[in-house]
Amino acid sequence: MPGSSPDASGDPTIIMHIPTLAPETLFYLFGIIPVTNTIINAWLAIIIFFIIGMIISRRASLRPGKLQNFFEFILESLFGYFDQVTGSRKTTLRFLPLVGSVFFFILLSNWLGLLPGTGSITFGNNFLLRPANTDLNLTVAMALTAVVASHVYGLVTVGIFTHLNKFIQIWPLIKSFKHGPIAIFTAIIEVGVGIIEIISEMAKVLSLSLRLFGNIFAGEVLMTVMSSLVALAVPTPFMLLEILVGLIQASVFAMLTLVYLSVLTVKPHGAEEH
Amino acid sequence: MYFIDIAYAKAVAETAETVEETGLMASLGLDGRLFIFQLINFAIVAIILWFLVLKPLVKKLAERQKLIDGGLDNAKKAQEQMERSEVDYRAKISEAKKEAQTILEKTKKDAKTLSENLKIKAKQEIENLAEQAKKNILKEKDEMMIGLKGETANLIIAALEKILKEKMTGEKDKKFVEEALKSLK
Repeated sequence: MPGSSPDASGDPTIIMHIPTLAPETLFYLFGIIPVTNTIINAWLAIIIFFIIGMIISRRASLRPGKLQNFFEFILESLFGYFDQVTGSRKTTLRFLPLVGSVFFFILLSNWLGLLPGTGSITFGNNFLLRPANTDLNLTVAMALTAVVASHVYGLVTVGIFTHLNKFIQIWPLIKSFKHGPIAIFTAIIEVGVGIIEIISEMAKVLSLSLRLFGNIFAGEVLMTVMSSLVALAVPTPFMLLEILVGLIQASVFAMLTLVYLSVLTVKPHGAEEH
Repeated sequence: MYFIDIAYAKAVAETAETVEETGLMASLGLDGRLFIFQLINFAIVAIILWFLVLKPLVKKLAERQKLIDGGLDNAKKAQEQMERSEVDYRAKISEAKKEAQTILEKTKKDAKTLSENLKIKAKQEIENLAEQAKKNILKEKDEMMIGLKGETANLIIAALEKILKEKMTGEKDKKFVEEALKSLK
Protein backbone atom coordinates (compact mmCIF):
# COMPACT_ATOMS: atom_id res chain seq x y z
CA MET A 1 0.00 0.00 0.00
CA PRO A 2 1.69 3.18 -1.11
CA GLY A 3 -0.44 5.42 1.07
CA SER A 4 1.06 4.51 4.37
CA SER A 5 3.95 6.91 3.97
CA PRO A 6 4.41 9.67 1.38
CA ASP A 7 7.99 8.76 0.50
CA ALA A 8 6.90 5.24 -0.40
CA SER A 9 5.28 6.42 -3.64
CA GLY A 10 7.95 5.77 -6.23
CA ASP A 11 6.77 8.33 -8.79
CA PRO A 12 8.27 11.71 -7.90
CA THR A 13 5.98 13.72 -10.23
CA ILE A 14 2.82 12.97 -8.25
CA ILE A 15 3.25 13.85 -4.59
CA MET A 16 0.33 12.45 -2.64
CA HIS A 17 0.09 12.99 1.07
CA ILE A 18 -2.39 10.22 1.63
CA PRO A 19 -3.29 10.30 5.28
CA THR A 20 -2.16 7.50 7.53
CA LEU A 21 -4.61 5.55 9.65
CA ALA A 22 -3.23 7.09 12.80
CA PRO A 23 -3.55 10.85 13.30
CA GLU A 24 -0.32 12.81 13.30
CA THR A 25 0.88 14.21 16.59
CA LEU A 26 1.58 17.93 16.24
CA PHE A 27 3.00 18.77 19.65
CA TYR A 28 2.88 17.72 23.28
CA LEU A 29 0.81 19.64 25.79
CA PHE A 30 2.69 20.05 29.10
CA GLY A 31 5.26 17.71 27.65
CA ILE A 32 3.12 14.58 28.09
CA ILE A 33 -0.25 14.93 26.41
CA PRO A 34 0.00 14.43 22.65
CA VAL A 35 -2.07 16.84 20.58
CA THR A 36 -2.96 15.46 17.16
CA ASN A 37 -4.41 17.26 14.18
CA THR A 38 -7.73 15.51 14.75
CA ILE A 39 -7.85 16.96 18.25
CA ILE A 40 -7.31 20.42 16.74
CA ASN A 41 -10.41 19.82 14.62
CA ALA A 42 -12.37 18.63 17.64
CA TRP A 43 -11.35 21.81 19.48
CA LEU A 44 -12.50 23.83 16.50
CA ALA A 45 -15.90 22.15 16.76
CA ILE A 46 -15.97 22.83 20.50
CA ILE A 47 -15.22 26.52 19.94
CA ILE A 48 -17.93 26.82 17.27
CA PHE A 49 -20.48 25.08 19.47
CA PHE A 50 -19.51 27.27 22.39
CA ILE A 51 -20.05 30.46 20.37
CA ILE A 52 -23.40 29.22 19.00
CA GLY A 53 -24.33 28.05 22.49
CA MET A 54 -23.57 31.40 24.07
CA ILE A 55 -25.70 33.19 21.49
CA ILE A 56 -28.59 30.76 21.73
CA SER A 57 -28.66 30.42 25.52
CA ARG A 58 -28.59 34.20 25.92
CA ARG A 59 -31.05 35.09 23.21
CA ALA A 60 -33.42 32.14 23.47
CA SER A 61 -36.91 33.59 23.59
CA LEU A 62 -40.47 32.69 22.76
CA ARG A 63 -40.18 34.84 19.67
CA PRO A 64 -37.23 33.16 17.96
CA GLY A 65 -34.60 35.06 16.03
CA LYS A 66 -33.08 33.81 12.82
CA LEU A 67 -30.44 31.58 14.45
CA GLN A 68 -32.86 30.14 17.00
CA ASN A 69 -35.45 29.59 14.29
CA PHE A 70 -32.90 27.72 12.17
CA PHE A 71 -31.86 25.44 15.01
CA GLU A 72 -35.44 24.89 16.10
CA PHE A 73 -36.27 23.84 12.56
CA ILE A 74 -33.40 21.33 12.51
CA LEU A 75 -34.33 20.06 15.96
CA GLU A 76 -37.99 19.65 15.06
CA SER A 77 -37.09 17.73 11.90
CA LEU A 78 -34.76 15.49 13.93
CA PHE A 79 -37.50 14.91 16.51
CA GLY A 80 -39.69 13.60 13.71
CA TYR A 81 -37.19 10.85 12.94
CA PHE A 82 -36.31 10.20 16.59
CA ASP A 83 -39.96 9.83 17.55
CA GLN A 84 -40.34 7.08 14.97
CA VAL A 85 -37.60 5.12 16.72
CA THR A 86 -38.49 5.81 20.34
CA GLY A 87 -42.24 5.87 19.89
CA SER A 88 -42.85 8.95 21.99
CA ARG A 89 -41.61 12.52 22.28
CA LYS A 90 -41.01 12.04 26.01
CA THR A 91 -38.50 9.23 25.41
CA THR A 92 -36.86 11.22 22.64
CA LEU A 93 -36.30 14.13 24.99
CA ARG A 94 -34.92 11.73 27.61
CA PHE A 95 -32.25 10.46 25.20
CA LEU A 96 -31.66 13.84 23.55
CA PRO A 97 -28.63 14.88 25.67
CA LEU A 98 -26.61 12.00 24.27
CA VAL A 99 -28.15 11.46 20.84
CA GLY A 100 -28.40 15.16 20.00
CA SER A 101 -24.79 15.78 21.05
CA VAL A 102 -23.57 12.82 19.01
CA PHE A 103 -25.49 13.95 15.93
CA PHE A 104 -24.46 17.59 15.95
CA PHE A 105 -20.86 16.88 16.89
CA ILE A 106 -20.34 14.29 14.16
CA LEU A 107 -22.13 16.45 11.61
CA LEU A 108 -20.10 19.54 12.37
CA SER A 109 -16.74 17.77 12.55
CA ASN A 110 -17.46 15.95 9.30
CA TRP A 111 -18.29 19.18 7.55
CA LEU A 112 -15.35 20.96 9.14
CA GLY A 113 -13.16 18.43 7.36
CA LEU A 114 -14.31 19.89 4.05
CA LEU A 115 -13.02 23.35 4.87
CA PRO A 116 -10.23 24.51 2.62
CA GLY A 117 -7.00 24.19 4.53
CA THR A 118 -7.66 20.62 5.59
CA GLY A 119 -4.77 18.72 4.07
CA SER A 120 -2.93 21.81 2.94
CA ILE A 121 -1.96 23.94 5.93
CA THR A 122 1.06 22.35 7.52
CA PHE A 123 2.36 22.49 11.04
CA GLY A 124 5.89 21.26 11.25
CA ASN A 125 5.98 18.21 9.00
CA ASN A 126 2.28 17.41 9.35
CA PHE A 127 -1.03 18.92 8.35
CA LEU A 128 -2.63 21.15 10.93
CA LEU A 129 -6.22 20.08 10.19
CA ARG A 130 -7.64 16.63 9.73
CA PRO A 131 -11.32 15.61 10.09
CA ALA A 132 -11.91 14.71 13.72
CA ASN A 133 -13.64 11.44 12.84
CA THR A 134 -10.64 10.10 10.94
CA ASP A 135 -9.25 9.38 14.39
CA LEU A 136 -10.28 5.98 15.71
CA ASN A 137 -9.73 7.23 19.26
CA LEU A 138 -12.61 9.68 18.92
CA THR A 139 -15.01 7.29 17.19
CA VAL A 140 -14.29 4.56 19.74
CA ALA A 141 -14.76 7.08 22.53
CA MET A 142 -18.15 8.06 21.19
CA ALA A 143 -19.22 4.51 20.43
CA LEU A 144 -18.18 3.35 23.88
CA THR A 145 -20.01 6.27 25.47
CA ALA A 146 -23.14 5.46 23.48
CA VAL A 147 -23.12 1.75 24.37
CA VAL A 148 -22.20 2.31 28.03
CA ALA A 149 -24.89 4.99 28.27
CA SER A 150 -27.45 2.60 26.79
CA HIS A 151 -26.58 0.10 29.54
CA VAL A 152 -26.79 2.76 32.24
CA TYR A 153 -30.17 3.90 30.95
CA GLY A 154 -31.25 0.25 30.79
CA LEU A 155 -30.14 -0.42 34.37
CA VAL A 156 -31.97 2.64 35.62
CA THR A 157 -35.14 1.99 33.62
CA VAL A 158 -35.77 -1.75 33.88
CA GLY A 159 -33.85 -2.48 37.07
CA ILE A 160 -30.50 -4.14 37.69
CA PHE A 161 -31.79 -7.72 37.88
CA THR A 162 -33.92 -7.56 34.74
CA HIS A 163 -31.16 -5.85 32.85
CA LEU A 164 -28.45 -8.31 33.81
CA ASN A 165 -30.85 -11.18 33.12
CA LYS A 166 -30.74 -10.27 29.46
CA PHE A 167 -27.08 -11.30 29.40
CA ILE A 168 -26.51 -13.71 32.26
CA GLN A 169 -29.14 -16.44 32.41
CA ILE A 170 -27.81 -18.26 35.48
CA TRP A 171 -30.89 -17.94 37.67
CA PRO A 172 -33.26 -19.58 35.11
CA LEU A 173 -30.71 -22.38 34.74
CA ILE A 174 -30.75 -23.09 38.46
CA LYS A 175 -34.55 -22.94 38.54
CA SER A 176 -34.84 -25.25 35.53
CA PHE A 177 -33.41 -28.23 37.43
CA LYS A 178 -36.82 -28.69 39.03
CA HIS A 179 -38.61 -28.95 35.69
CA GLY A 180 -36.79 -31.84 34.07
CA PRO A 181 -34.33 -32.33 31.23
CA ILE A 182 -36.11 -30.30 28.52
CA ALA A 183 -36.24 -27.22 30.76
CA ILE A 184 -32.56 -27.68 31.56
CA PHE A 185 -31.77 -27.92 27.86
CA THR A 186 -33.72 -24.70 27.12
CA ALA A 187 -31.99 -22.93 29.97
CA ILE A 188 -28.56 -23.98 28.69
CA ILE A 189 -29.45 -22.59 25.26
CA GLU A 190 -30.52 -19.37 26.93
CA VAL A 191 -27.20 -19.14 28.70
CA GLY A 192 -25.55 -19.45 25.30
CA VAL A 193 -27.86 -16.72 23.92
CA GLY A 194 -26.82 -14.51 26.82
CA ILE A 195 -23.17 -14.98 25.91
CA ILE A 196 -23.94 -14.11 22.30
CA GLU A 197 -25.73 -10.99 23.55
CA ILE A 198 -22.60 -9.97 25.47
CA ILE A 199 -20.50 -10.44 22.33
CA SER A 200 -23.02 -8.44 20.30
CA GLU A 201 -22.72 -5.57 22.78
CA MET A 202 -18.98 -5.50 22.06
CA ALA A 203 -19.71 -5.72 18.35
CA LYS A 204 -21.90 -2.64 18.70
CA VAL A 205 -18.90 -0.59 19.82
CA LEU A 206 -16.77 -2.01 17.06
CA SER A 207 -19.30 -1.47 14.28
CA LEU A 208 -20.28 2.02 15.39
CA SER A 209 -16.71 3.26 15.65
CA LEU A 210 -15.32 1.52 12.56
CA ARG A 211 -18.26 2.55 10.37
CA LEU A 212 -17.83 6.23 11.13
CA PHE A 213 -14.06 6.11 10.99
CA GLY A 214 -14.02 4.12 7.76
CA ASN A 215 -16.46 6.36 5.93
CA ILE A 216 -14.86 9.63 6.87
CA PHE A 217 -11.32 8.33 6.44
CA ALA A 218 -12.20 6.95 3.02
CA GLY A 219 -13.69 10.30 2.11
CA GLU A 220 -10.52 12.05 3.20
CA VAL A 221 -8.36 9.68 1.14
CA LEU A 222 -10.66 10.17 -1.84
CA MET A 223 -10.44 13.94 -1.55
CA THR A 224 -6.66 13.81 -1.29
CA VAL A 225 -6.32 11.60 -4.34
CA MET A 226 -8.76 13.67 -6.38
CA SER A 227 -7.19 16.99 -5.52
CA SER A 228 -3.70 15.71 -6.24
CA LEU A 229 -4.78 14.37 -9.63
CA VAL A 230 -6.68 17.46 -10.83
CA ALA A 231 -6.88 20.25 -8.29
CA LEU A 232 -9.39 22.38 -10.21
CA ALA A 233 -13.16 21.71 -10.37
CA VAL A 234 -12.83 17.90 -10.43
CA PRO A 235 -12.97 17.45 -6.61
CA THR A 236 -16.18 19.54 -6.38
CA PRO A 237 -18.69 16.71 -7.00
CA PHE A 238 -16.77 14.58 -4.53
CA MET A 239 -16.97 17.39 -2.00
CA LEU A 240 -20.75 17.48 -2.45
CA LEU A 241 -20.73 13.73 -1.98
CA GLU A 242 -18.71 14.17 1.21
CA ILE A 243 -21.27 16.69 2.52
CA LEU A 244 -23.92 14.03 2.01
CA VAL A 245 -21.74 11.31 3.56
CA GLY A 246 -21.08 13.54 6.57
CA LEU A 247 -24.80 14.02 7.14
CA ILE A 248 -25.63 10.35 6.54
CA GLN A 249 -22.92 9.09 8.89
CA ALA A 250 -23.98 11.53 11.60
CA SER A 251 -27.60 10.41 11.33
CA VAL A 252 -26.64 6.73 11.17
CA PHE A 253 -24.53 7.03 14.32
CA ALA A 254 -27.23 8.99 16.14
CA MET A 255 -30.02 6.67 15.01
CA LEU A 256 -28.12 3.53 16.02
CA THR A 257 -27.33 5.07 19.39
CA LEU A 258 -31.02 5.81 19.77
CA VAL A 259 -31.96 2.27 18.77
CA TYR A 260 -29.53 0.79 21.32
CA LEU A 261 -30.93 3.09 23.99
CA SER A 262 -34.51 2.20 23.10
CA VAL A 263 -33.89 -1.54 22.98
CA LEU A 264 -32.17 -1.70 26.35
CA THR A 265 -34.75 0.48 28.11
CA VAL A 266 -37.59 -1.87 27.13
CA LYS A 267 -38.51 -4.74 29.43
CA PRO A 268 -37.92 -8.13 27.76
CA HIS A 269 -41.02 -9.95 26.60
CA GLY A 270 -42.12 -12.84 28.73
CA ALA A 271 -39.60 -12.15 31.49
CA GLU A 272 -42.04 -13.63 34.00
CA GLU A 273 -42.22 -16.98 32.22
CA HIS A 274 -38.70 -18.01 33.09
CA MET B 1 3.20 -1.83 5.79
CA TYR B 2 0.47 -1.21 8.33
CA PHE B 3 -2.29 -2.44 6.07
CA ILE B 4 -0.46 -5.66 5.65
CA ASP B 5 -0.33 -5.86 9.40
CA ILE B 6 -4.12 -5.55 9.52
CA ALA B 7 -4.70 -8.10 6.80
CA TYR B 8 -2.56 -10.68 8.43
CA ALA B 9 -3.24 -9.54 11.96
CA LYS B 10 -4.76 -12.85 12.92
CA ALA B 11 -1.90 -14.91 11.65
CA VAL B 12 0.63 -12.55 13.11
CA ALA B 13 -1.18 -12.48 16.43
CA GLU B 14 -1.04 -16.21 16.67
CA THR B 15 2.72 -16.23 16.37
CA ALA B 16 3.61 -13.34 18.64
CA GLU B 17 0.51 -12.35 20.48
CA THR B 18 1.39 -9.56 22.85
CA VAL B 19 3.78 -7.69 20.62
CA GLU B 20 1.61 -7.71 17.52
CA GLU B 21 -1.52 -6.81 19.50
CA THR B 22 -0.03 -3.45 20.48
CA GLY B 23 1.26 -3.13 16.93
CA LEU B 24 -2.25 -3.44 15.52
CA MET B 25 -3.63 -0.93 17.98
CA ALA B 26 -0.86 1.50 17.18
CA SER B 27 -1.25 1.10 13.43
CA LEU B 28 -4.94 1.92 13.77
CA GLY B 29 -3.94 4.99 15.75
CA LEU B 30 -5.44 3.79 19.00
CA ASP B 31 -3.60 5.21 21.95
CA GLY B 32 -4.63 5.27 25.58
CA ARG B 33 -3.84 8.90 26.24
CA LEU B 34 -5.35 10.07 22.97
CA PHE B 35 -8.43 8.00 23.67
CA ILE B 36 -8.94 9.62 27.06
CA PHE B 37 -8.24 13.01 25.56
CA GLN B 38 -10.87 12.47 22.86
CA LEU B 39 -13.30 11.15 25.46
CA ILE B 40 -12.87 14.40 27.37
CA ASN B 41 -13.32 16.36 24.14
CA PHE B 42 -16.56 14.55 23.44
CA ALA B 43 -17.74 15.11 27.00
CA ILE B 44 -17.06 18.85 26.64
CA VAL B 45 -18.96 18.91 23.35
CA ALA B 46 -21.86 17.03 24.90
CA ILE B 47 -21.99 19.38 27.89
CA ILE B 48 -21.82 22.49 25.72
CA LEU B 49 -24.39 21.18 23.26
CA TRP B 50 -26.81 20.07 25.91
CA PHE B 51 -26.63 22.98 28.32
CA LEU B 52 -26.08 25.82 25.88
CA VAL B 53 -27.91 24.72 22.75
CA LEU B 54 -30.32 21.82 23.09
CA LYS B 55 -31.72 22.41 26.56
CA PRO B 56 -32.62 26.10 26.03
CA LEU B 57 -34.13 25.28 22.66
CA VAL B 58 -36.16 22.36 23.96
CA LYS B 59 -37.30 24.48 26.90
CA LYS B 60 -38.40 27.30 24.64
CA LEU B 61 -40.13 24.87 22.31
CA ALA B 62 -42.05 23.37 25.21
CA GLU B 63 -42.89 26.83 26.59
CA ARG B 64 -44.14 27.98 23.23
CA GLN B 65 -46.20 24.83 22.86
CA LYS B 66 -47.74 25.46 26.26
CA LEU B 67 -48.40 29.09 25.45
CA ILE B 68 -50.10 28.23 22.17
CA ASP B 69 -52.21 25.54 23.83
CA GLY B 70 -53.18 27.98 26.57
CA GLY B 71 -54.00 30.65 24.02
CA LEU B 72 -56.20 28.28 22.06
CA ASP B 73 -57.98 27.20 25.23
CA ASN B 74 -58.53 30.80 26.23
CA ALA B 75 -59.88 31.66 22.80
CA LYS B 76 -62.30 28.74 23.04
CA LYS B 77 -63.38 29.83 26.50
CA ALA B 78 -63.87 33.41 25.34
CA GLN B 79 -65.96 32.16 22.43
CA GLU B 80 -68.14 30.13 24.77
CA GLN B 81 -68.48 33.09 27.13
CA MET B 82 -69.51 35.29 24.25
CA GLU B 83 -72.09 32.81 23.05
CA ARG B 84 -73.51 32.49 26.54
CA SER B 85 -73.73 36.25 27.01
CA GLU B 86 -75.35 36.54 23.60
CA VAL B 87 -78.05 34.10 24.69
CA ASP B 88 -78.46 35.97 27.97
CA TYR B 89 -78.74 39.24 26.15
CA ARG B 90 -81.39 37.90 23.82
CA ALA B 91 -83.40 36.44 26.70
CA LYS B 92 -83.24 39.72 28.59
CA ILE B 93 -84.26 41.71 25.56
CA SER B 94 -87.28 39.50 24.92
CA GLU B 95 -88.23 39.69 28.59
CA ALA B 96 -88.01 43.46 28.54
CA LYS B 97 -90.14 43.53 25.40
CA LYS B 98 -92.76 41.37 27.06
CA GLU B 99 -92.77 43.57 30.13
CA ALA B 100 -93.09 46.68 28.06
CA GLN B 101 -96.02 45.11 26.24
CA THR B 102 -97.83 44.26 29.47
CA ILE B 103 -97.19 47.73 30.86
CA LEU B 104 -98.52 49.27 27.70
CA GLU B 105 -101.63 47.12 27.77
CA LYS B 106 -102.25 47.89 31.41
CA THR B 107 -101.96 51.61 30.82
CA LYS B 108 -104.34 51.36 27.91
CA LYS B 109 -106.84 49.55 30.08
CA ASP B 110 -106.41 52.00 32.89
CA ALA B 111 -106.86 54.91 30.59
CA LYS B 112 -110.02 53.36 29.19
CA THR B 113 -111.56 52.75 32.58
CA LEU B 114 -110.57 56.19 33.74
CA SER B 115 -112.13 57.84 30.76
CA GLU B 116 -115.28 55.76 31.22
CA ASN B 117 -115.50 56.71 34.87
CA LEU B 118 -114.99 60.35 34.03
CA LYS B 119 -117.67 60.15 31.40
CA ILE B 120 -120.12 58.60 33.82
CA LYS B 121 -119.30 61.14 36.48
CA ALA B 122 -119.66 64.03 34.10
CA LYS B 123 -122.99 62.68 32.88
CA GLN B 124 -124.20 62.36 36.41
CA GLU B 125 -123.10 65.82 37.29
CA ILE B 126 -124.77 67.22 34.23
CA GLU B 127 -127.94 65.37 35.11
CA ASN B 128 -127.77 66.65 38.65
CA LEU B 129 -127.26 70.17 37.45
CA ALA B 130 -130.15 69.88 35.06
CA GLU B 131 -132.40 68.55 37.77
CA GLN B 132 -131.37 71.30 40.10
CA ALA B 133 -132.06 73.85 37.44
CA LYS B 134 -135.43 72.32 36.73
CA LYS B 135 -136.32 72.37 40.37
CA ASN B 136 -135.24 75.96 40.71
CA ILE B 137 -137.25 76.92 37.71
CA LEU B 138 -140.34 75.22 39.05
CA LYS B 139 -139.88 76.81 42.43
CA GLU B 140 -139.47 80.23 40.92
CA LYS B 141 -142.45 79.61 38.76
CA ASP B 142 -144.60 78.73 41.77
CA GLU B 143 -143.40 81.74 43.67
CA MET B 144 -144.04 83.88 40.70
CA MET B 145 -147.52 82.42 40.38
CA ILE B 146 -148.32 83.13 43.97
CA GLY B 147 -146.94 86.63 43.65
CA LEU B 148 -148.79 87.13 40.44
CA LYS B 149 -152.03 85.91 41.97
CA GLY B 150 -151.79 88.34 44.84
CA GLU B 151 -150.84 91.19 42.61
CA THR B 152 -153.57 90.32 40.21
CA ALA B 153 -156.13 90.25 42.97
CA ASN B 154 -155.04 93.63 44.18
CA LEU B 155 -155.03 94.98 40.64
CA ILE B 156 -158.46 93.64 39.96
CA ILE B 157 -159.74 95.06 43.19
CA ALA B 158 -158.29 98.40 42.39
CA ALA B 159 -159.63 98.19 38.91
CA LEU B 160 -163.08 97.16 40.09
CA GLU B 161 -163.10 99.86 42.69
CA LYS B 162 -162.32 102.30 40.05
CA ILE B 163 -164.93 100.83 37.85
CA LEU B 164 -167.59 100.63 40.45
CA LYS B 165 -166.56 104.01 41.81
CA GLU B 166 -167.52 102.72 44.97
CA LYS B 167 -165.39 101.18 47.47
CA MET B 168 -166.59 97.75 48.31
CA THR B 169 -165.98 96.91 51.84
CA GLY B 170 -166.83 94.14 54.07
CA GLU B 171 -166.45 90.48 53.91
CA LYS B 172 -169.04 90.04 51.25
CA ASP B 173 -167.15 91.99 48.73
CA LYS B 174 -163.81 90.38 49.37
CA LYS B 175 -165.39 86.99 49.16
CA PHE B 176 -166.99 87.83 45.93
CA VAL B 177 -163.69 88.96 44.45
CA GLU B 178 -161.84 85.95 45.58
CA GLU B 179 -164.47 83.70 44.08
CA ALA B 180 -164.20 85.59 40.88
CA LEU B 181 -160.42 85.15 40.93
CA LYS B 182 -160.67 81.47 41.63
CA SER B 183 -162.84 81.05 38.63
CA LEU B 184 -160.23 82.96 36.67
CA LYS B 185 -157.63 80.55 37.48
